[in-house]
Amino acid sequence: MKKSSRGLTLQAKQKAAGWVFLTPATALICIMSFWPIIQAFIMSMKTGSSANMKWNSPLFNNYARMWQDKIFMKTVGNTFLYLIIQVPIMLILAILLAQLLNNKDLKFRGLFRTMVFLPCATSLVSYSLIFKSLFARDGLVNAILLKLGIVSNYVDFLGNETWAKVILIIALIWRWTGYNMVFYLAGLQNIEYSVYEAAKIDGASGWKTFWHITVPLLRPTIVMTFIMSINGTLQLFDESMNLTKGGPANSTMTMSHYIYNNSFGQGVANFGYASALSFFIFILVAILAFINLKVGDTRD
Amino acid sequence: MKKKLLTMVLAGAMAVSMMAGCGSSSSGSDSSSSDATASTDASASSDSSDSSTASANVASEGDKELSVYAWDENFNIPALKAAEAAYQKKDPDFKLNIITQGQSSDVEDAVTLAGSAGDYSTLPDIVLFQDHYINQYVTNYPDAWVSVDDANVNWDDFSQEKLSYSTISGTHYGFPVDNGTAIFAYRTDLLEQAGYTIDDVTGVTWEKWIQIGKDVYDKTGKYLMAMDGDGNDLPYMMLQAEGVSQFKDGKPNFVNNEAMVQIMGVIRDAVQNNALLLCTDWSDYTDKAIQGDQVAGVMNGNWIIPTIEQVAENSGKWEITTMPTLSGAEGYAANGGSSLYITAACQKTDLAKDFLAYTFGGGDGAQETYDNALTNGGVISTWAKAADSDVYQQGVAYFNNQPIYAKIVEMGTHVSPVEQSDYHYPTRTDIATAIHNVIDNGADITAELQTAEDDINFQMGN
Repeated sequence: MKKSSRGLTLQAKQKAAGWVFLTPATALICIMSFWPIIQAFIMSMKTGSSANMKWNSPLFNNYARMWQDKIFMKTVGNTFLYLIIQVPIMLILAILLAQLLNNKDLKFRGLFRTMVFLPCATSLVSYSLIFKSLFARDGLVNAILLKLGIVSNYVDFLGNETWAKVILIIALIWRWTGYNMVFYLAGLQNIEYSVYEAAKIDGASGWKTFWHITVPLLRPTIVMTFIMSINGTLQLFDESMNLTKGGPANSTMTMSHYIYNNSFGQGVANFGYASALSFFIFILVAILAFINLKVGDTRD
Repeated sequence: MKKKLLTMVLAGAMAVSMMAGCGSSSSGSDSSSSDATASTDASASSDSSDSSTASANVASEGDKELSVYAWDENFNIPALKAAEAAYQKKDPDFKLNIITQGQSSDVEDAVTLAGSAGDYSTLPDIVLFQDHYINQYVTNYPDAWVSVDDANVNWDDFSQEKLSYSTISGTHYGFPVDNGTAIFAYRTDLLEQAGYTIDDVTGVTWEKWIQIGKDVYDKTGKYLMAMDGDGNDLPYMMLQAEGVSQFKDGKPNFVNNEAMVQIMGVIRDAVQNNALLLCTDWSDYTDKAIQGDQVAGVMNGNWIIPTIEQVAENSGKWEITTMPTLSGAEGYAANGGSSLYITAACQKTDLAKDFLAYTFGGGDGAQETYDNALTNGGVISTWAKAADSDVYQQGVAYFNNQPIYAKIVEMGTHVSPVEQSDYHYPTRTDIATAIHNVIDNGADITAELQTAEDDINFQMGN
């Protein structure tokens, strides 16, 4: 043993040291992340209660089944609706706010930045509950609308399919805009001020500067926030669970919420099917992230 | 060389300590398992230093000690304490270790977890379990439960409807605790303002009831009934009052179920005539509609009574009666409730059976148990003999001195057992969706019921 290690070249020794340092982290991620993923994949081919799971026949029955599951398809539709409406609004708002708050002449910049970022410090459950009480039948919003005479009877915001979706989207925007703004602010710091000066000398308007300088230079940040937002929205759970419980009539339920319902909610304990649904989301996230990376790739 | 060896050892030590980090914390809580809160999360399997292989909370118990999961400090936990006190008269050394759970679903999750891990020793000796869920859990995790057929209990003394939940394929698994008999409570003063008495709403058809509800709303601005529109228990109770189930031979029976189609129409008409308020969710129902004094009547399992009683200024104005039906006969139904089940973790099944039979099962300590459970927790029994007790015969001031407890037990004996299903809650969700679509979107009842039936069939794999 001693002899052989002494015989190693310097390069080999360094390589060996590298592997030694990598091993603990690799072992942990394999045990804590990859092994459960493989287990979940195996489980997704099984059926029955979790105490007594049997292989499905045909093996991919759970995957075939989800295409006929109307409620699941509805949750997929809901999730994509949030994605298509909420993510662009949120990111545009975030980039505009970042641009505003990056202005060197603005007073109380720190205060405003903190205020915009503050919603991110609230827990997902508590902010959902706050929105729930705001928009309840006799919540603050209804009280104001009634007092101002805008409506004659209360609006059942969370009991109406369209309104419930709108409120969920408003809540999401409130919660996540500041979070994305911080990334843009950081990105803006990296843009040399001289670039803007040059644009000014060339006579570019504010809008032109924004569109032709800020946005292209922020592209890596925009791509990253897009991927993160898509990923986050596809896995949306807390808001659907706490704000609306997926109701009314499953109209606000997200995919993750449906997975939860299939494993723990309603006492169904259908873990095999729930695992298959999770892999559906996994593949969706992978595809969307891939497209995003391709679109955002500047090396060509 | 020495340095390299040292690096290896240190790296190894780090990895090991990180792994051990998870283990050591759980063994820490194992050792302090006498503490109730600690023992709930001591579900991690005990380490080798522990002489027994069972989980800490069951294994560390004395010979005359049992542990039980329950969830309501104001309701079922006082009942269990009453039972412990009653059994201690028989055996002074007996100790019941009541482990409080946050909510009923925590108990269900604990069973799911233990079943998935294939290790039931993490469960306590006894669990309190919701009636509508037990069917499903006995099917899914048959090894988690212990048959109590041989317990010293005269099952005929209990409401057959209640036992129909805890009896699965002819085998008794549970001991009934509370009574889910549905009551219809009315504000007599508001009825009077609209020109009616409680007799006018007793034994009426739903059609007539909706008219009364419309009058009450027009005169007083209050709804004659409210229900959680999301977890809507109305269809189930209304159908049971007709003696009809949502299921037939293990399959959903919605579209071709004449009573069900009619009831959907009744619910729609009631909402459109302001007789029924469908709330956004459960807390909207209990906190805003009932406690916010927006209703003139409440229909639900009798466990709703403590919620009604929260509005102190309405004391003496309430009375209870039976449900309306389609035909106008007096309707009887039940909703909710729970029973006690012995789990596979229990190593003292004889003691557990004897304890439960002696107390909740109608043994010598039953009268005392049920009397104190009612006094301290408001738990009403389904044991027929319980109603003979003085405690049950007393009038309740809040309900205009009506002896409501005896009345509820009596009403409970009329509830007809209907076919139960593993898919009770998925059905409730789907029917609530159907109702929502019918009322808000003007959808066709038959088409919506067909959608719901298709979905339940799909979930069942039919």
